[in-house]
Amino acid sequence: MKTIYAKNSPTDNYLNHTKGIKSWIFTLDHKRIGIMYLICILFAFFLGGSFAMLIRFHLLTPEGAILTQDQYNQAFTLHGAIMVFLVIIPAVPAALGNFVLPIMLGAKDVAFPRLNLFSWWLWVFGLVFFLISLGTGGVDTGWTFYTPYSIDKASSMGGVIPVLIGAFVLGFSSIFTGMNFIVTIHRLRPVGMTWFRMPLFLWATYATAIIQVLATPVIGITLLLLIVERSFGIGIFDPALGGDPVLYQHFFWFYSHPAVYIMILPAMGIVSELIAVHSHRHIFGYKFIAYSSIAIAMFGFLVWGHHMFTSGQSQLVNIIFSFITFSVSIPSAIKVFNWLATLYKGSISLNTPMLYGLSFIFIFGIGGLTGIHCATLNTDIHLHDSYFIVAHFHYVMMGSALIGFIGGIHHWWPKMTGKMYNEAWGRFACILVFVGFNLTFFTQFMLGSRGMPRRYATYDPEFQTYHIVSTIGSTILAIGFFITAIYLIHSIFKGKKAPTNPWGGRSLEWQCASPPPWDNFAEQPEVGDCYDFSVLEWNEEEQGYDWRKDVAHPGE
Amino acid sequence: MIDSIINILTTVTPPVDNGTFWLPRAASTVAEEVDFTFDLINWICYFFFAAIVLSMVWFCIKYRRKSPNMVCEGPTHNTALEVTWTVIPLLLVAVIFTVGMKGYLNLRESPEGCYEVQVTGQKWSWTFSHPEFGATQVAELTVPVGKPVRLLMTSNDVLHSLWIPDFRVKMDVVPGRYTSLWFEATKVGDYQLKCTEYCGKDHSKMFAMVHVIPADEFDAVMTKLASEYEDMSVGQLPAYAINRLYNRCVSCHSLDGTTGTGPSFRGLWDRVSSGQVGFSSGETLSSLLGDATLYGEPENYVRESLLFPQKHIVKGYLGSMPSFQGQLKEKQILAIIEMFKHLDEITDEEGNITVNLDGTPTE
Repeated sequence: MKTIYAKNSPTDNYLNHTKGIKSWIFTLDHKRIGIMYLICILFAFFLGGSFAMLIRFHLLTPEGAILTQDQYNQAFTLHGAIMVFLVIIPAVPAALGNFVLPIMLGAKDVAFPRLNLFSWWLWVFGLVFFLISLGTGGVDTGWTFYTPYSIDKASSMGGVIPVLIGAFVLGFSSIFTGMNFIVTIHRLRPVGMTWFRMPLFLWATYATAIIQVLATPVIGITLLLLIVERSFGIGIFDPALGGDPVLYQHFFWFYSHPAVYIMILPAMGIVSELIAVHSHRHIFGYKFIAYSSIAIAMFGFLVWGHHMFTSGQSQLVNIIFSFITFSVSIPSAIKVFNWLATLYKGSISLNTPMLYGLSFIFIFGIGGLTGIHCATLNTDIHLHDSYFIVAHFHYVMMGSALIGFIGGIHHWWPKMTGKMYNEAWGRFACILVFVGFNLTFFTQFMLGSRGMPRRYATYDPEFQTYHIVSTIGSTILAIGFFITAIYLIHSIFKGKKAPTNPWGGRSLEWQCASPPPWDNFAEQPEVGDCYDFSVLEWNEEEQGYDWRKDVAHPGE
Repeated sequence: MIDSIINILTTVTPPVDNGTFWLPRAASTVAEEVDFTFDLINWICYFFFAAIVLSMVWFCIKYRRKSPNMVCEGPTHNTALEVTWTVIPLLLVAVIFTVGMKGYLNLRESPEGCYEVQVTGQKWSWTFSHPEFGATQVAELTVPVGKPVRLLMTSNDVLHSLWIPDFRVKMDVVPGRYTSLWFEATKVGDYQLKCTEYCGKDHSKMFAMVHVIPADEFDAVMTKLASEYEDMSVGQLPAYAINRLYNRCVSCHSLDGTTGTGPSFRGLWDRVSSGQVGFSSGETLSSLLGDATLYGEPENYVRESLLFPQKHIVKGYLGSMPSFQGQLKEKQILAIIEMFKHLDEITDEEGNITVNLDGTPTE
């Protein structure tokens, strides 16, 4: 009998295969690139989170507690721009996707390793441009860079162009990652890995990659036009020169709405894995979940106009966009129902990754359902540009996408580092994050529907109670993240050694050692049904799962 | 007897209408329909959210892992179930879409014979012109109750968005084009109007108050408003300017001496009349005052600052003041100058306005 389960090699793995800083920053290994992305993205997350805390503490009092108006406007701009362009868009595909996707697929690397390294370097340059903007007058346009404010040199601050260049560069980073994944999935699937044997995370990443490749060039062109307009005044967006400021919004959202799915789809893919693996239960409705990812990616291109219901666009256009927007809600609902059905008659382990998976369902439930308020025309007229929208998109982009990401970090942490983190602290921190998040953002629904506009540095005293609760929530949230950082870093040095398969996962990454060897698989792995957990059994000695002795391997 | 007591009680202390848990008070004809849609969606959301979370919690308790080798034999797919939970949400969102669309058309299609107001958004205040009466209001909009009002809006600089939460109406205000919205207020009272498209530094202070007054008083109020300063003596002008015109300045110019986007008005006249104003060009005002100089009289400098603010920018400021050319009549410019001269008499040290429009002290 062949051993398809690699045992951990005591000596050689991807972490210690070569040494020195150059062996990392010029590596072509997808796992190392994934880890470098992870470190960088978590750093950017800390940066963006710091701005978020500034905003929250500033809003403790109606007159604004700690910042001037200008500083506040910069804080929310940088919070948004950093979190969107540097954190959430690359988080799951570039960090976890890079690490997991080739192993999950059974490949030795992505299709274009050099392009992959280049993507990471572009990310770093993107960050550098963001930092340059801080030193060249800052930026206060909001992460949306709406014209004509962003092209008016007299009113908006001087650091706009560096941020635009940064976002432009990050766009290419994203395009290259997407291209790489599409080609990898098409060309590098080993024998037996048919489309419908791929884990759902790969389907989600594939759908995401399509959006990355098709939508991101549009924002690239738009940002270039904006740079040219601001620098030379060519009159495409500037109304004083006969341009159309609303045209910019169309260009911007033609990318930035699909970008929402770049953020949420891979997180949904992670959740599909978390729910199935940690309940040891064959995923329910595999094909429906797989196709719903593709459906979301497709419909996502046709709904950008719902960001502009009050922009003055025609009533007919608004009605059409409202109609198509509702169509996106259906595949999202299908996913949620299928996850629930997967829990039914499962063997549910409430460990940290699973708690994040369940938190995702709860939070995405609220984020998705409040999307209905925003898609419906007459209610959105009232809610548009209010805190209700802020709450809604934080529920989707932060509460769902980022919590999926953090759940994924915990799920694959033993694989990435070869170490187990402290489970009790993990659960505790997850509960803090969950409670803190909901306290922070649920109050903002009422703030918005009761009449508080977004991007306000000062506000009416009637709203203060909500803001205080929201700030308390954000503090709990920050403590949760802080604890997470501590026990994860602690585990690298002091954690127990991780077994090959701590959770009992069936996809291929759980068949290669923890941490994986340099070239992932010494021999081509054999692919079976990646959601059939009945072939695994618990090995007490290893504290992990093993292939059952009495079950034949696939391919035998 | 009891009826009359109740009558007195309800007229003396009308119940404060704070709206519902989710929404503020409803005060326009379309608000009721918007709120109905909102509540309809809410109830559908409550139902689905409860179903999702309850079944999730129930499964997590019932099917929690009891041994690491528990074998699960649940179904892997069920097409009938998939179709059911695809079709039911589809039907529900079709209903919601239709209700929302109908409500939206009512909200957008203005009825015949609206009372028209022209609105200009400018960083960071709202100006409302009543063409029918030739009156202009700043940061205040007076409209009659029970009569449809149409706002025809444009912006002088960047994007703004006009939102009256209690009326459930909102529309972006775009430079270089007109947009419009309409509403019909149903209750007499004061309602907040806010800018809700980010427009720079003082975005959160771009605020106006909508006064909804009885329809039979409206004509008289507007006629008076249109000409109230025409008949005023110079002595009445400071009270007029501080109550009617200062709204347009408040977001940048304080009355208590604190520095904003522009210099404070406190002590301004002393600085101007003594020439102690430095410009970013390096010049000082004192060299431009006096016989045979640019301004001659200091009043000319104030006049020019209102009409051509970019000509001389005070040192330490960005010069973001817009021009008021064409917006202020000569007598209003005079009123502003008089306001500066008598600022100590009409405001206190903390910058509170101490006189009413008619010159009586405020409470």
